[in-house]
Amino acid sequence: MRLFKAMSIDAYRQLSAARLFWLTLGLSGLVVILYGSIGFNDQGVTMLFGVFDVESEYITEGSMWARGLYVGIYSVLVTIWLAWVATILALISTCSIFPEFVSEGSIELSLSKPITRIRLFMMKYLVSMLFVMLQVSIFCLGIFLCVGLRLGEWNWMIFVAIPIVSLFYSYLFAVTVLVGMMTKSGIAALLVTGVFWMTLFSVSVSEGALTTIVTGEEVQIERYQESIDKQQKQLEEIVSKSPEDFRIEKREARIEKMKVDNKDSIEFLDKIRPWQTRISWMLTLLPKTSQTIGLLDRWLSSDDGFDLAAIMRGDMSELEEMEDFEPTSHQALHRESNRRLQDEYDGRSLWYVIGTSIIFEGLVLGLASLIFCRRDF
Amino acid sequence: MSAINLQDVHKTYRGKVQALRGVSLDVHDGEIFGLLGPNGAGKSTLVKIMMTVIHATRASGTVLGLPIGNVEGLRQIGYLPEHHRFPQYLTGTQVLHFYASLSGVERSTRKKRANELLDRLGLRGWGKRKINTYSKGMLQRLGIAQALMNDPKLLILDEPTDGVDPVGRREIRDLLSELKANGHAIFLNSHLLSELEMVCDRVAIMVKGKVTMQGTIESLTSESKRIEIEIDCTPPEWTREDFDTVEGQLLTKFGHDIESIQSLIDRLRRDQCTIRSIKPMRESLEDLFMRAVDYIDSPGSHESGT
Repeated sequence: MRLFKAMSIDAYRQLSAARLFWLTLGLSGLVVILYGSIGFNDQGVTMLFGVFDVESEYITEGSMWARGLYVGIYSVLVTIWLAWVATILALISTCSIFPEFVSEGSIELSLSKPITRIRLFMMKYLVSMLFVMLQVSIFCLGIFLCVGLRLGEWNWMIFVAIPIVSLFYSYLFAVTVLVGMMTKSGIAALLVTGVFWMTLFSVSVSEGALTTIVTGEEVQIERYQESIDKQQKQLEEIVSKSPEDFRIEKREARIEKMKVDNKDSIEFLDKIRPWQTRISWMLTLLPKTSQTIGLLDRWLSSDDGFDLAAIMRGDMSELEEMEDFEPTSHQALHRESNRRLQDEYDGRSLWYVIGTSIIFEGLVLGLASLIFCRRDF
Repeated sequence: MSAINLQDVHKTYRGKVQALRGVSLDVHDGEIFGLLGPNGAGKSTLVKIMMTVIHATRASGTVLGLPIGNVEGLRQIGYLPEHHRFPQYLTGTQVLHFYASLSGVERSTRKKRANELLDRLGLRGWGKRKINTYSKGMLQRLGIAQALMNDPKLLILDEPTDGVDPVGRREIRDLLSELKANGHAIFLNSHLLSELEMVCDRVAIMVKGKVTMQGTIESLTSESKRIEIEIDCTPPEWTREDFDTVEGQLLTKFGHDIESIQSLIDRLRRDQCTIRSIKPMRESLEDLFMRAVDYIDSPGSHESGT
């Protein structure tokens, strides 16, 4: 415990000596102030502490919409600010921690103390996470106060962002540490981590796109099948009543066309599904950065099931749910696909999202610690 | 009891570079031991093996009674690495506290010792300043203070006076003597032979990964002990038999002290020879060092050309 305390204090001193730490904290503070400047009254929304007013019939003080909007903005802030901007700044700030730690003249001082190498390595890794933990904690505290004061809702779930963002950051930082150990270069560590992050993002987006297409096609095929069966039944009824009915030919042509379309969809699905399976497996093995951050939305969504955050991200399914469409219409198909996709994502367990990511992180850290333990400095 | 007892330490780096080729050393409790050697001799590698910074390819022996490489043994060792680099964001006091806490020193003890050592090493008033304002000599003294924070039984210093001015060097020498008097064993690794000569009880000379000489400076230089007499006349014939060498007007007698050659001096006087000087001579540590290096580098030596 004494060792952890000493290394934590040292990590804090190291971070607080860096201008970027204070810059990030200042920017976070600014974001919180801007967030806190949004308020609600009987007429609608006020911004910049009442400098601007936006009249709204629905988003008024105490309304469900106001609550949804405010929590939704927080969710977007976490996704954009913490999971992107602050993370980039944190990576820049911390990329040289391990290269400096193992540099000549510095590492001898640490290794000559009565601490095993593995313990020293793990302690250093944990305390290096302090940058993100501190930043996120202060940010969340600010948001917590804003939400409490604006909505009168003291939502402790806001602090869930601390472990989630820290976890998300740790996936990337493990790679930074490994590359830093291998190359002893902060710049190399930062660049490789950046490429790795972009790769994760690409894989995640590709998986999302392919899953959307596959789900859409599956719904489409099901609809075709249902329609074919329905048409077939109607045809049989018509034929049984009057074999010379003029509708028979048209109905047969329609069924035939649907069968062709269905066959095309099945062929397309057969082509695309192996790719979706492969990329899903790839994603299973890699850390799930987007899905980890997405857990926050899952846990922050209101009990009434109304997810304004999703709407703010461009997911209109929440609004579409409110409308009635013809069951066979394109909109209905789209809605059904979205519903299944949402079920699919919501159905992904914590073990899948976090567990597999931690396994990856553990392997990367294991390799980095092996290098650290075996290396002659 | 030996503070350090190393047997047959080998280190071969990747690329088959043999840094150490069977080093054996013995450092006694309460003595100052100096390790000398030219650049690339393997001195720092040996020190780093003792401090677990480098893994030996093959080694046996003990440091403070524990097997070499035992991390727990480091609790009682103070170490100043060569070219050490403290974090620039810390103050002098913070450096001492941080490294002492890694050694497991209690907070109250840390506070007391940090103040004492800053005073003792001439850094009073500098403890609260960031170390990026320190001179090289001050950093070196802070490094020694850092090595002493855990009140070690064994102190291993790699080039401790590097960058320190003559006054500071003297202070460090005095400190080392004081520590020795208090029973601490001190292992010095240095290029500065004159410094070592002044403080070391025993030395070892290392060349190309091997210890070529080891012992007290007295014993290692005993062969070269001699009396040189410079006269102001042509040397009488008998001097060629009674002195070991006669070169011009310089007469040399090896292995004797001044008392044992009084009869020869009397005889020279009787022969009307004016004696200009009588000097008891001994090989310096530098001469010894050069002899060791020359021996290894000589064409006939098996050790040459690693």
